[in-house]
Amino acid sequence: MKRSLPLLLVLLAGCAGLEKYGLGADSAVGQRLQKVDFDKVGKGVTALRKGVEEISESEEYYIGRAVSAQILARYKPWRNEGANLYAQKVLQTVAMASDRPDTYKGWHVQLLDSDEVNAFAAPGGFVFLTRGMVKRAKTEDELAGVLAHEVAHVVKKHGLKTIQTARLTSAFTLLGSEAAKSYTPQQVQQLTSAFEGAVEDVVNKLVVNGYSRDKEYESDRLGAAYAKAANYDPNALKAFLARLGADDKGGGMFKTHPSSAKRVDELGALSASASHKKPAARQGRFNAALR
Amino acid sequence: MKKTIAVLLAAAGLPAAALAATVTVLVTETAVRKKPQFFAPSAGTARLGQTFEAEGPDGGWYKVDGRLDGYIHASAVTAKKVKVGSDAVAGGGATAEEVTLAGKGFNAQVEKAYGAKNGSADFSAVNAMERREVSESAVLEFMRAGGLLPEGGAR
Repeated sequence: MKRSLPLLLVLLAGCAGLEKYGLGADSAVGQRLQKVDFDKVGKGVTALRKGVEEISESEEYYIGRAVSAQILARYKPWRNEGANLYAQKVLQTVAMASDRPDTYKGWHVQLLDSDEVNAFAAPGGFVFLTRGMVKRAKTEDELAGVLAHEVAHVVKKHGLKTIQTARLTSAFTLLGSEAAKSYTPQQVQQLTSAFEGAVEDVVNKLVVNGYSRDKEYESDRLGAAYAKAANYDPNALKAFLARLGADDKGGGMFKTHPSSAKRVDELGALSASASHKKPAARQGRFNAALR
Repeated sequence: MKKTIAVLLAAAGLPAAALAATVTVLVTETAVRKKPQFFAPSAGTARLGQTFEAEGPDGGWYKVDGRLDGYIHASAVTAKKVKVGSDAVAGGGATAEEVTLAGKGFNAQVEKAYGAKNGSADFSAVNAMERREVSESAVLEFMRAGGLLPEGGAR
């Protein structure tokens, strides 16, 4: 302890430490709310971030948009505005109760016009459920459990973590070589090449290969927790998975996810929150939107 | 060690449970809530790049005060010091937070170039998807109507 005291004092005396605790020279007492000058931030930025964990909020958003654009090139949107708006409200409800209530530009869901049973979550908060998936849900609580599972994939950044680090290295080295927000055509070409590779990595994982079993189980656990936090019944996710297991024909999500029976087992015993209720109005609006 | 830190903070006039920090908002907008609960009513909206003097985080929430008093979710902000202007150059380092605030890295310019190379990518459908966002008050009403708000919630 005697040795740690001087060390701690040195650390606290350092500028960064003092500023963290509001004691720095620019602690802005009396200037509670400030605004960052966007034109100045990042001017001449030269340094390099190293890996996927350091992809910024805004970059995650743009990667997510491109992944979504690729998913929507493969699946047509379901043009049922009532169903989409209803799903959007359920998504925002479980997302608000999650560990990441807000992404860079919010959470969004699009239902897909396909009988295939499938769901995807792109980085940044873009969620997709096929009509075939939605039609297998019997209650709003089940739909909430499915959407919460997808929210968990985004919260844990499972999609971003599939990007090969080497793809990012070239992009990160370009950052800040110019003061302006815009890049030269050559720089854009280099960044676009890295971006294209990153998007391809995520799309391949989402659509073709699927996440590891551990990531699916983790998203089930977190999804059930988020649904419970929003006062939905977390057991509804188990009921939905058990029903899916009976329908398993090997396509869609069945080829990219662990077996439904195993997922139910992994979830274990779940209990609803003390505030959980099941009013008829909830089932009524589910039926009106999706039946 | 915890005791030592507490003693040092006390000597500096700071309560151990209420460490102050300056947090910077990293999302386009996020609610400042009247209570540290996701369904609590909003006291206002914090926007990208705004900074607040804050205490915490405690249970995933920072307590902020100033023009907006309330609680802001820790996932929407960073407590790291964001370098501005020449400081960013001198340090030789660009953090993810600075990239977001500067609008650099993978941005709209890169997306445009990507779209030109990948004609089948359907960005118009993505734009339509993004336009579907529901206001927070509408989500809270949806929760209330569906029996999802606890007793006394959203008040």
